[in-house]
Amino acid sequence: MVATNINTVPVTVITGYLGAGKTTLLNRILTYEHGKKVAVIVNEFGEVGIDNQLVIDADEEIFEMNNGCICCTVRGDLIRIVGNLMKRRNKFDHLVIETTGLADPAPVIQTFFVDEDMREKISLDAVVTVVDAKHIQQHWEADEAQEQIAFADVILLNKTDLVTPEELEKLENKIKAMNGMAKIYRTQNSELGMDALLEVQAFNLDRALEIDPEFLNEVAHEHDETVKSFAIVESGALDGQKLDNWLGKLLQTRGVDIFRMKGILNIAGEDQRFVFQGVHMLFDGKPDRLWKKEENRKNELVFIGRNLDETRLREDFRQCLV
Amino acid sequence: MFGVGAKGKVLLRSRWGDNLSEYVTAVVWSTDGLLAASSAAGEVVLWQDNNLVNLLPAGLTSIDCLSFSADGKFLAAGGQDSKVRIWDISSFKLPLIPDDKKWQPEQEENSLVTLDNAPKWIDKLSWSPTCNQLAFSLGPDVQIWDADCQKVITTLPFTNSSVLDLAWRPNGNNLAIAGQGGVKIWNTKNWDDDPDLIDLPSASIVTAWSGDSKYIASGNLDNTITVSEYGSPDPWVMRGFPGKVANLSWSRSLSNNTPLLAASSIEGIAVWKKEADDKDGWNARVLALHDRRIQALEFHPHSLLLASAGDDGRLVLWTKAKQVGQILEGASGGFSCLVWDRNGQQLAAGGQNGELIIWSKSKRGKGFG
Repeated sequence: MVATNINTVPVTVITGYLGAGKTTLLNRILTYEHGKKVAVIVNEFGEVGIDNQLVIDADEEIFEMNNGCICCTVRGDLIRIVGNLMKRRNKFDHLVIETTGLADPAPVIQTFFVDEDMREKISLDAVVTVVDAKHIQQHWEADEAQEQIAFADVILLNKTDLVTPEELEKLENKIKAMNGMAKIYRTQNSELGMDALLEVQAFNLDRALEIDPEFLNEVAHEHDETVKSFAIVESGALDGQKLDNWLGKLLQTRGVDIFRMKGILNIAGEDQRFVFQGVHMLFDGKPDRLWKKEENRKNELVFIGRNLDETRLREDFRQCLV
Repeated sequence: MFGVGAKGKVLLRSRWGDNLSEYVTAVVWSTDGLLAASSAAGEVVLWQDNNLVNLLPAGLTSIDCLSFSADGKFLAAGGQDSKVRIWDISSFKLPLIPDDKKWQPEQEENSLVTLDNAPKWIDKLSWSPTCNQLAFSLGPDVQIWDADCQKVITTLPFTNSSVLDLAWRPNGNNLAIAGQGGVKIWNTKNWDDDPDLIDLPSASIVTAWSGDSKYIASGNLDNTITVSEYGSPDPWVMRGFPGKVANLSWSRSLSNNTPLLAASSIEGIAVWKKEADDKDGWNARVLALHDRRIQALEFHPHSLLLASAGDDGRLVLWTKAKQVGQILEGASGGFSCLVWDRNGQQLAAGGQNGELIIWSKSKRGKGFG
């Protein structure tokens, strides 16, 4: 994973079940007076503003490589279509990709980090997931529904008018337990300000690490969901070599189940913070700004994944401390 | 417009240049020395003897692929608007003289046929080298349009994914179609036969037959090349590329009856040569000069002169596919495509900011060696 270039086009990925309100959201983005020229890649042609010449139809084509290694799973159709679109680079300044309701968001995200052409031309801005507050209950057990929530940077808890305030509260807590990183907005008709949707820069290492303090301080709840998120907060300095070994092994053995992670680390002997993020087995990290004098040097990590052994991860992480 | 290589040779001299309004997506020569070029703005132009005429004006959607039929009679174009347009060049009065009344670029009625295939983006098409059949990509299928009956005569289902590339075998006997899972090769004498499969663990993104129809190469998404002697079961696999293999070109045959294979991956070029013994496989030499992505790569039709062009705005002529012979410039925003004419006397290239340039062989040159 590589930091963003200056001349790249930001891309927003919209996921969510059929009927959750993705198309409504897409049409809002297309018609909103934000001064941006937006190109859109859709899967169900004909539902969005057809008078826009940069609405492109694509079929989701999953390309697996190297014996099914999950991080090598990419969207072949996007490589082809975005490659064609980039020849018209001066015609648009933001790209939005709508996935089908049953899509796993991981291959879309990985396409923009694994493929060298995409990496050079595109910077992933954010994954936006639209959740139908009423009907999500029926899909709750589906892997796709859980993955779409787990991978999100922004979640629209939509159609809030169709459920009671109590139901909504319960649902929001459930979503927070699965994904403590995402910003959750309660919406009707997918109505949301553009600044919450576009130019979020959720994958930019310089911007991405605003982890919600509330989430970090939260005492672990007991949840029966297999997909969950949790934070590790530890003061003290890390042994760089031990950390490397642990992370390397973790990604190798548990990368399939780790959907996303990010964090800020205090490495022994370094005056700069070390920041990182990951998607499945893809990992990107770099030294960040200097620790401030008055700052409490500590480590903050967030994991989102399936069947993660929280106790074990905490213990293994502590072993990396000096 | 041009620079001279280390040895001070001038192989090509700038002959003509003009600009289209956007990224030049394709350049092709006809057997009669006509050049066609297309742009991301949807233009199609035709050039002959320094005269340029418009076949299609700039519009809202791009034209991405062009092909002249082997007899030079037809020109086909495909693009974002899902249409395949075919012009009967022989009905035009040649030589071309730019004349607004005659060409009326606002009307596309000068095209012979327009096939509408909404909503697929047509980005690959090619005429058969031996008859007037046109193959074009249509999502996961390829359709064959026959100019004699002016109909689509068959639809070939690649199935695994969208079609990423297609290539006619130079002897006209087969059509290779590339995509996820490898290359499928149809028999043109009987389209209904099941295709042969070159099975790959990733996607084939570019495929090319050698000029003698003996070998077929596939450039793959997993940073490898696969080369098969067509009909024999075990392909050679070439590894070590830094990224996916985006361009392939075969040279004419060497004295050992085997051509060289040039391949580009990101900014590097490797030229592969087959060893005398099959068991020793192929060995490569690396040509390093470009410092950004290579967009086009093509051997001279009759020599080992190799042309490469890329995002760095350089078009490099490699003498004997080894040394830098000459560096040509003229597309400051990077080159997008290049093509030699049939006799190897002229080279045309397109640029990412719309540049269209033609060089011709230097009179003082003593052949390309």
